[in-house]
Amino acid sequence: MTEPSTEEVLAPLRNTTWKFGVLMSVLVVYTGLFLYAWYLQLQHGLVVTGLGDWGPGGGIPWGLYIGTFVWWVGIAHGGIAISAAVRVFKVERFDAIARIAEVLTVIALMMAAANIVFDLGRPDRLFNTLEMLPSTLYHSPLAWDITVITLYLVLSVTYLILSLRSELHALRDRLPGYLQPLYSFVLLGYRPAEDEKVDRMLWWLAIAILGLVPLLSGGVVPWLFGLVGAQPGWFGAAAGPTMLMESLASAVAMVFIVTAVFRYVYDWTFIDEDVFMGLAKVLGFLSLAVMWFLLQEVLPGLYAAPTQSQEVTHALLDAPLYWVAVIGINVGMLYLFLGIIRPRFFNIPAAVVASVLITGGIWTKKVLFVVDGLLHPTFPPLTNLYPSGWYVPSLVEVTIAGGSLVIAALLFAIATKLIPMVEIDAQEVDE
Amino acid sequence: MDGTDSTIGGPGPGDPDWEAWADAVLEGTDFDPELGKAMARDAVRVNEGDLARSTFYDRYHEVVQDEFGVDRRPADDLVEPSETGDDHDSTDAPLPHVPDTGATDEEPENRTRRTVLKTMAGTAAAAAALPGCLSADGPGSAFVGDSEDAIAASQTSEDPSDVQLGMVIDLERCHGALDCMEACKRENNTAVGVHWNYVFRYAEDGEGKADRYMPRPCQHCSRPTCTYVCPTEARHKRESDGIVLTDYDQCVGCRYCQVSCPYGVNFFGWGEPSDPDGFDYAREDKNGDRVAGNPPGGVMGKCTFCVQRQDSGDPNLEGTTACAEACPWNTISFGNLNDPEDDPQQHLKEKEGSHTFHLLESVGNDPSIIYVGFEPSINAESGESTATTFDELGFVDYRREVLDDRTPKRKVGNETETDSHD
Repeated sequence: MTEPSTEEVLAPLRNTTWKFGVLMSVLVVYTGLFLYAWYLQLQHGLVVTGLGDWGPGGGIPWGLYIGTFVWWVGIAHGGIAISAAVRVFKVERFDAIARIAEVLTVIALMMAAANIVFDLGRPDRLFNTLEMLPSTLYHSPLAWDITVITLYLVLSVTYLILSLRSELHALRDRLPGYLQPLYSFVLLGYRPAEDEKVDRMLWWLAIAILGLVPLLSGGVVPWLFGLVGAQPGWFGAAAGPTMLMESLASAVAMVFIVTAVFRYVYDWTFIDEDVFMGLAKVLGFLSLAVMWFLLQEVLPGLYAAPTQSQEVTHALLDAPLYWVAVIGINVGMLYLFLGIIRPRFFNIPAAVVASVLITGGIWTKKVLFVVDGLLHPTFPPLTNLYPSGWYVPSLVEVTIAGGSLVIAALLFAIATKLIPMVEIDAQEVDE
Repeated sequence: MDGTDSTIGGPGPGDPDWEAWADAVLEGTDFDPELGKAMARDAVRVNEGDLARSTFYDRYHEVVQDEFGVDRRPADDLVEPSETGDDHDSTDAPLPHVPDTGATDEEPENRTRRTVLKTMAGTAAAAAALPGCLSADGPGSAFVGDSEDAIAASQTSEDPSDVQLGMVIDLERCHGALDCMEACKRENNTAVGVHWNYVFRYAEDGEGKADRYMPRPCQHCSRPTCTYVCPTEARHKRESDGIVLTDYDQCVGCRYCQVSCPYGVNFFGWGEPSDPDGFDYAREDKNGDRVAGNPPGGVMGKCTFCVQRQDSGDPNLEGTTACAEACPWNTISFGNLNDPEDDPQQHLKEKEGSHTFHLLESVGNDPSIIYVGFEPSINAESGESTATTFDELGFVDYRREVLDDRTPKRKVGNETETDSHD
């Protein structure tokens, strides 16, 4: 990796191009659309979605929002996991993308939480869940989710802020004046002597975050579904590992995409092809793991499984979107392996497309996972007597869930104007 | 028990020779023969179900202590197996599980905490134990184990504080008139397409016509999955009478209860209620929680066992529900399942020879609705009723269709007003 010059890294903070203005306008316009859709939903209630009552009502109570929530939680892992790995396992190759990854984690967690809020019938009462936490923690898987996600968010934000301090202190004079109050806040009580201690704190935080990864995407999130016996598609011994692999894969794909965008937009060639090749290798093998777990799900579901499991599996295989997802993941994966084996076929734009296919495929798969389980409930005879349901997300719903992606982009764009997006060693600040 | 297989090997108390035999046996002891004989007679009555164990225990507790200095009869024998609990195998539970509404908990009525306190019974292993409790991956696999006694106690003890309101629904009497559904809608002012008491109309294999009926209110389970998963404890099981309710002021509308209920009894407030003022009773129950009638927008609703009637203080309304009252065939008997004098048990007594079942027994939620008749087979198919149809009553069977209008509903007609039945 070529060392980034301080000048290069600080450029986005100092200069704003007309291109950035265009990007912001597009994002803000869509955000306006999103706000309007959300306003409609808040005003009229969830009746404006495609969701409905499970049971004789023939509807699906959870859909796009919950699927998107699960996807965002997954994305949140990649970022901080890469950054933590850089710190704990000294994977210096990824130094240049650690900060981008950290910011991605914080934003992804906020978007995950936002999708839960979109899904609530009474978002104004969100804090009831916190108020009741001391007792619901004993029995509600949703309370576990809230707890672990909050913990993860607190750790990630702390990690991000701590890792910024010495750097901001060294760079302060060269950063825009109107941001000084923000930096004063981040640097509250800063003494240069703290650097060593903060480094140790960061190391331990990294360990804690790495430990939380399997507990979140491979734990409380799949448990949210797997513990509810009424839906056969949600239960499976491999559900936790499956979801963890999907999460890590879509997260690394997202890191790849975001990093490529930064390199392209700011011409940051110091993030060299080696970094992307490294990510591509990780993503290729994670995608392979995703497909392997998919096989674990499908084959036992087809071969002499209990009737209801068979039905779910068949329904899944009959859904065209499922194949879109599976083929997307496979095409992306095959391209990445091609690039790994024959580097002359590897180029960043094509790998970005592969990443989009993979993470998009996983998003689709997650939404189908939520919906399919609900469409094919277990327990005959009762469920045989329900009308067979269907679910098509409404335009409002799509706008809101898609809005989380746009808002994430918007937050990223704003972040580039607030903090350096590449970690700079305070000792090596050059003129 | 025929009395002859008594442990000491003599004739049973029903036998004419028994008195003399008993006197001879008891003469050789220093203890009161009359007490021994009286207890033996009553013990047989206990075995035959004519006498409650708790009564038996209380009746002799003092004399036994006077006579023997100690009453060794195990107090936990007071618990009798529930009518339906016996088929749970309590010996080989595959997973630890959480004792639920244990009768041992001394907590006063505390709405929000009760489920938890009872559920957890102070165990630190709660989190570890819970998966076993919520998963229902196989018939009966989840809800077997050590709390059978507690459950049984909550269901059958005659201590009046152990009330579990419930229903006996007699499928042999149901004619598919749908009067119960209509009465429920009128009483609770539920929205279009919402049927808290839903009558399944179905045909068995090859019969073609849907001439079988099964009303399905909320099962008010003793192990309600919906209360376990609720992140705010808005969904709770009331301590004093076992009604499962939703606190409309606490619910955040996440619908976790809906996806976790195997019976599909929940109906969400997708929009604002079509008729906000159509509920004629008090909304608050005796604990001061807003739980009665149709839910406001964004909040979950379901059958409340007409809690507004149970808490009304009006003896004509207490112990009744709209659906039970409306049925011309006396299909539904509502009351305290634990009281042998109350309607449900009287109904069961009357139909002693008939088959009874719990709906989806294998999921282990331990419902408080006992059906008389036969459960629909796995081949059952729903179809157009041969009795009253939904169309005749202006009911919407498939709420999805109503919601698909997507027009925010102010007043999309009131099903109870299109009544053409009475």
